[in-house]
Amino acid sequence: MIKRVEINYRGIYQKTLARRIGSDLVLIASRLGKVAFSNGRYSDAPERDGIPCKYFVFVSPDLPEEELEAECGAKLDIDVADVSIVLDDTMVKGVEPWAWHGVRPINEKVSADGCLLVVTRREPTQLLAFIAAKPHPYRLATLEGDASLSGLWVFKDDLTHERVLGAVAAVDPGIVTIDAVADYLADEGREPRRAEAARTAHAATVQRIRPVAPDAGISWTYAIPELPAWDAFGEGVAVPGVERRSELGPGGQARNAGFPRGTTKTERPVVRFDLCTRCTLCWLECPDGCFDPTADEYYDVAYAYCTGCGKCAAVCPVKECIVMVDELRFEDTASPWAAYRRDPAAYLAWAEGKKGPERRSYAHITGTGVEVRPAPAVRARRTRKEVATR
Amino acid sequence: MTLAEKTIAYEREELLTGCQAVAQAVRLADVDVIAAYPIRPYTEVMDNLSRIIADGQLDAEYIVADSEHSQFEIVKHASSVGARAFAGSSGTGWMYGFEALVVTATDRLPVLFLVGNRALDDPGAFGVEHNDALAIRDMGWLLCWATTAQEALEHVLIGYRVAEDPRVRMPMALALDGAFLTHSQHMVRVPAAETVRRFLPPFDLGDRRLHPDNPISIAPQVNEDWVMELRRQNWEAARRARRVIEQAYREFNELFGERYGTPFFDEYMTDDAEVVLVGLGTVAMPARTAVRRLREHGHRVGYVNLRWFRPFPGPELRASLARFRAVGVIDRDFAHGSPDDGGVLLHEVRSCLYPLPERPQVLNFLTGLGGRDISIDDVTSMYEQTLAAGRGRALEPAVRWIGVREEAARGVPEERRP
Repeated sequence: MIKRVEINYRGIYQKTLARRIGSDLVLIASRLGKVAFSNGRYSDAPERDGIPCKYFVFVSPDLPEEELEAECGAKLDIDVADVSIVLDDTMVKGVEPWAWHGVRPINEKVSADGCLLVVTRREPTQLLAFIAAKPHPYRLATLEGDASLSGLWVFKDDLTHERVLGAVAAVDPGIVTIDAVADYLADEGREPRRAEAARTAHAATVQRIRPVAPDAGISWTYAIPELPAWDAFGEGVAVPGVERRSELGPGGQARNAGFPRGTTKTERPVVRFDLCTRCTLCWLECPDGCFDPTADEYYDVAYAYCTGCGKCAAVCPVKECIVMVDELRFEDTASPWAAYRRDPAAYLAWAEGKKGPERRSYAHITGTGVEVRPAPAVRARRTRKEVATR
Repeated sequence: MTLAEKTIAYEREELLTGCQAVAQAVRLADVDVIAAYPIRPYTEVMDNLSRIIADGQLDAEYIVADSEHSQFEIVKHASSVGARAFAGSSGTGWMYGFEALVVTATDRLPVLFLVGNRALDDPGAFGVEHNDALAIRDMGWLLCWATTAQEALEHVLIGYRVAEDPRVRMPMALALDGAFLTHSQHMVRVPAAETVRRFLPPFDLGDRRLHPDNPISIAPQVNEDWVMELRRQNWEAARRARRVIEQAYREFNELFGERYGTPFFDEYMTDDAEVVLVGLGTVAMPARTAVRRLREHGHRVGYVNLRWFRPFPGPELRASLARFRAVGVIDRDFAHGSPDDGGVLLHEVRSCLYPLPERPQVLNFLTGLGGRDISIDDVTSMYEQTLAAGRGRALEPAVRWIGVREEAARGVPEERRP
């Protein structure tokens, strides 16, 4: 019998956190007399900012180590997971680690009776609004918390690591038991609050496991590109480039549909077109070329390709014109400019609704966390007379 | 009382990746000079060594070079003044420093290098392929593969011991499969420092040590007057290395328990085997598992895990493989345009078998390139093909690709698609 755990995390910020969780699960399982090992999905590039990556843990009570290694260690990815941990809840919108993978559902690997364990402050029903329906039942558990940056050593240790260990024991005691987790965390030299955090998270998670019925969730289509056979593509490592295209309007710029990279983002820029001075800075500075010039000299945003880096919001000289907003507040990647052109007043109301009354800014100083301020008051401007074509 | 009874062989167990196990071994070997330059998957070794030094667990010079070429030159020179030196690299980084690698061998300086096997760019790829390490095979290096993190740790110690032996004094490359070994965390038993000291004496370059009190000149221009004699010396050293390796394993086993049966390669379930596969590195894991499963169905198959590639264990492997009806050679490398267009290991094994009056059938499987995984099913298929060859069926072609997308056979199962 093999228990397979995958830890979905965001590149660089959570790399060390994910690995620590993986290492500790191995050590705790070993103390329980089981055979275990862990590794990361090697094809990932976890140094890339925000990229969805995976860490794996494999535990067996009865297999010899070499058999476990042959079954799990000599493979690049897993087929099924008993527990899929999600350390950043914005990943429920899908994960795309590399080109030619497709945007995969977060619960793709969760087995029947397996559990998707999400660190989040949202309710399960809110998450299921983004998660793919599966043909079989599974379980969804939530562990209350924010996407932790504690694995990046310059940030404060926030006990997410210990709490996730406790939650894993809650959703599948066949991997580790809460007593074993607590004993391990209470070992000599460690503060008692670590074991306490795990026990508290365990007790809370037990109450927060819910069954997910077959077909609950959204319909999800993702195309895994079929890669060509060796005798069906050009020689010399030459691959066809993206066809050049530069037209005005949404989607007018040619982009690589084989790797949109949009699942990298945790926030997206919301644009108040009425405040825009058409200074071009967002379009010039966007590292991913996500802004499409329009005939009336605005810049539409190709959200499917936006990685959420926030540079546009940082360079925009107009207060409140571009604001980064939590990705989970959005249902689709439709063109904001098209919506604005259809009904400016409705668009502006929608945009302000998404932005909400608070603005968050992330600290540049170690350990000081997130600053939340009320949104500054900005008077709505009259929509200028649009230039249909120039 | 044996040596083992007097010593504590292993003092504790730790969860370590292959890279971390190598770093721990470098600490235990009390290395004096480390030169570093990052390239995945080797990078984790240098990261861990810098931490070990910062934590005060190892007193060593740690020099970050401006490229692999400088990195390799630094350790070569450090070795020439009598320092125990360590460096490592992967893939194209290793190739970039190749000139330095060649002179390190010619100058007979026993530096130990870790090679985290990585596909050679282009195209960009992080995964394992053995061509990087194999490129050194004709240059006067010792070259050996580890298949587990435990073996990786122990072969740093065995490697220094063999390389620094006055009868050998050759640089040593220890190869680890990228990803599957370098980046997988396992429970590893860490040897006791005291026992390591008994196994690995301090490095002594003797009268070849470059020092003001010992005025010598290393590697002047000699042209045709001296080169051939130097090559002969190095040829003799590589020949002598085989006996030194055997002795090193004997003493390692005495101190650390019976860790290794045979030094150059491991045999698995070969006693009554009809056919075997031979391979290097982590393919041993799915291969040995396939052996167990095939034996449950009555197939007499075995696996030979080749550890030492240089020096190649010619007589020993020949004697072993002569017992089987067919041998399938697994190559995680390529040798384009070579005889029969097979892989590097094929040619070594086939050449080794040639003096036999009755030779086994030999098949070659090119597989797992660029980091593609080799599944238990893949290996099972190789065994089935080798069994057929052993019974005189389906002998052609001798060289077969396993796990490559092919238009002609486009029924690739979905789970195998990237």
